[in-house]
Amino acid sequence: MEISSIFNDWLLASVRMAAPLMLLGVGGVFTERTGVFNIGMEGMMLVGAMAAIAGDLVSESVWVGTLCGMIAGGLLSVVHAYLTVTRRANQIVSGASINLLAIGLTNVLYGPLYEGFKYRPRVPLYPKLAPAAWHDVPILGPIIFAQPVIVWIAFVLPLIATWVLYRTSWGLNIRAVGDHPHAVATAGVSVIRLKYTGVIISGLCAGLGGSALVLAELGLFGPNLTAGRGFIALAALAVGSWNPSWVAVACLFFGAADALQLRAQTWSQTYGINIPYQFLVMLPYLLTIAALAGIVGRTNAPKTIGKPYDPETI
Amino acid sequence: MKERKAIVLTSLGGFVIPFSRPLLAIVLALTVSAGLILARGANPIVAYAAMLQGAFGSVAALANTGVRASPLLLAGLGIALGFKAGLLNVGAEGQIYAGGIAATVVGISPLPVPPWLHLLLTVIAGFIGGALWGLIPAYLRAYRGVSEIVVTLMLNYVGIQLASFLVQEYSPLGEQGVFYPQSRLILPSARLPILIKGTSLHGGIVLGLALGVFLHFVLRYTNFGFRTRMVGENPEAARYAGVNVTRQIFIVLLVTCGLGGLAGTGEVIGLKLRLFDRFSQGLGYDAIAVALMANGDPLGTIITAIFFGALRAGAGKMQVVVGIETPIASVIQALAVLFVIAIGFAERVRVTRREQEQDQELEQETAVHGNQ
Repeated sequence: MEISSIFNDWLLASVRMAAPLMLLGVGGVFTERTGVFNIGMEGMMLVGAMAAIAGDLVSESVWVGTLCGMIAGGLLSVVHAYLTVTRRANQIVSGASINLLAIGLTNVLYGPLYEGFKYRPRVPLYPKLAPAAWHDVPILGPIIFAQPVIVWIAFVLPLIATWVLYRTSWGLNIRAVGDHPHAVATAGVSVIRLKYTGVIISGLCAGLGGSALVLAELGLFGPNLTAGRGFIALAALAVGSWNPSWVAVACLFFGAADALQLRAQTWSQTYGINIPYQFLVMLPYLLTIAALAGIVGRTNAPKTIGKPYDPETI
Repeated sequence: MKERKAIVLTSLGGFVIPFSRPLLAIVLALTVSAGLILARGANPIVAYAAMLQGAFGSVAALANTGVRASPLLLAGLGIALGFKAGLLNVGAEGQIYAGGIAATVVGISPLPVPPWLHLLLTVIAGFIGGALWGLIPAYLRAYRGVSEIVVTLMLNYVGIQLASFLVQEYSPLGEQGVFYPQSRLILPSARLPILIKGTSLHGGIVLGLALGVFLHFVLRYTNFGFRTRMVGENPEAARYAGVNVTRQIFIVLLVTCGLGGLAGTGEVIGLKLRLFDRFSQGLGYDAIAVALMANGDPLGTIITAIFFGALRAGAGKMQVVVGIETPIASVIQALAVLFVIAIGFAERVRVTRREQEQDQELEQETAVHGNQ
């Protein structure tokens, strides 16, 4: 392969792999800004991906599939919200259990999903809206024009989310509730409702991200398909300092690293070059730790994150 | 006043509550999962009977349960200890790999020492490997105030990838000329003994049980245990009472991570006898559920670890008999924990309401007496 086509192929894959992360990142910002960890987004993404394939398989419409994915992610997030906000249970335990539940459920339901098929059929995918002639435009082609419409959504959603968070009063409430829930309550705004909203947005986004993962190019589902991508999105939150746009930039970077490591693996097989791609995979996680430790920039994590809100104790 | 509260607590069943909550949760989880089994066209009673037989029905089944409980117990004890100090170590998965790597390094090296010492050194290496892995989160948490949750979580993936790198042919640990990347074989002198001939039940479970009882006594009867619980319950009060909270958090996190390392050690030198790419497959995450379902109590962790081990061992038999896939065990585990945390809080509210009523009564009484 020529250098330029290798580069184009890498750009194409980078953006495509970043898109689900960016969608999850938006959701992650909303839940963590309201003070609730949601490590269950990994599981919500997995269940969302499966529901998206199931919906698409039955209806032959990618949008019905997307809706199914979002509903599945949303339902799991209601469980998380109920346990952590209403019941004030430990957020990590709830999230970890939801992940475990998602792995179990998708493995058990995977058989029935494709029952009656000799091999896994490919379902309809997201359309590519730009005219085919534009796909080969340098740089912009692989990044934007050759991408399916879900990638465009993944680019726009963080911008909308940033505007909502920093330019609307509801966004101000969301930002305030994670830092000073009692102040928000004193202002007459329901803390519980804001937290529920934040968690459910994260579930919907995780479901959407799951749809993006399977309906952009793959078209089929396999067990344990998400393989820790939900955690990369969580890592991007700290690196992007809980601002949806910066989180999206971090996700783009992580997507590019992911696409590079996959290519490094094939190169080592085809050309016999041993590149320790494992270190590329580690990169997002190491960067997150560095960000948290204050080595790269200053992060401002929501102050009450992880702590249940009790209206009676300050 | 103190007398009264004590009576209230015993009448509520200080003994019954800690066991009844998880039991109720397990029953609920099994009931909901029965619906899933029904939906898959199988008979839940037949399925659960097969599961019970696969977990406890024979010596081989019991051994299988023990093998599966062993890493969950060791890592779970670590998480439980941390939980008592108010710390949540979600990085057991990474520590399992770190411990496994360290144990492999010592376990494949021919050392000029007697076999028992080689084994001991390997186990210690595994613990130290886990503890070293915990240095970063422990330092950041204790001295810089960075949440241990995110840092330990992120290090999981670093650990997985590091192990994946170290088992390749070009790494010093890697076996040459094999299709599936793996380390060289652990030397016989560094292997955990097999407890029952013809099964794979290894010494890891004994180590876990012993450590569980040991931790129980440490937490209850030693200064270290008392300081740990104090830091967990109220760090401000602990500081005021002269406890070096920072140092306590640092040490507890290191020990916590070391126990996670032991879990990986047991898997490598007891069961797999080599370091494999991705050998843990989420044991570290299951261990969180194991520890938290027992509310961080070491003896309770022994029970939940055996329960989780039994579920996994039984799920294999269940698949053979009724054709439901083994990950149903994950569904039951997850539901059990979700029900425990849902029920748990209700219990706590009830206790505090009682206490509040008691306090109000007392206040009224003292007011009356005061007037006389």
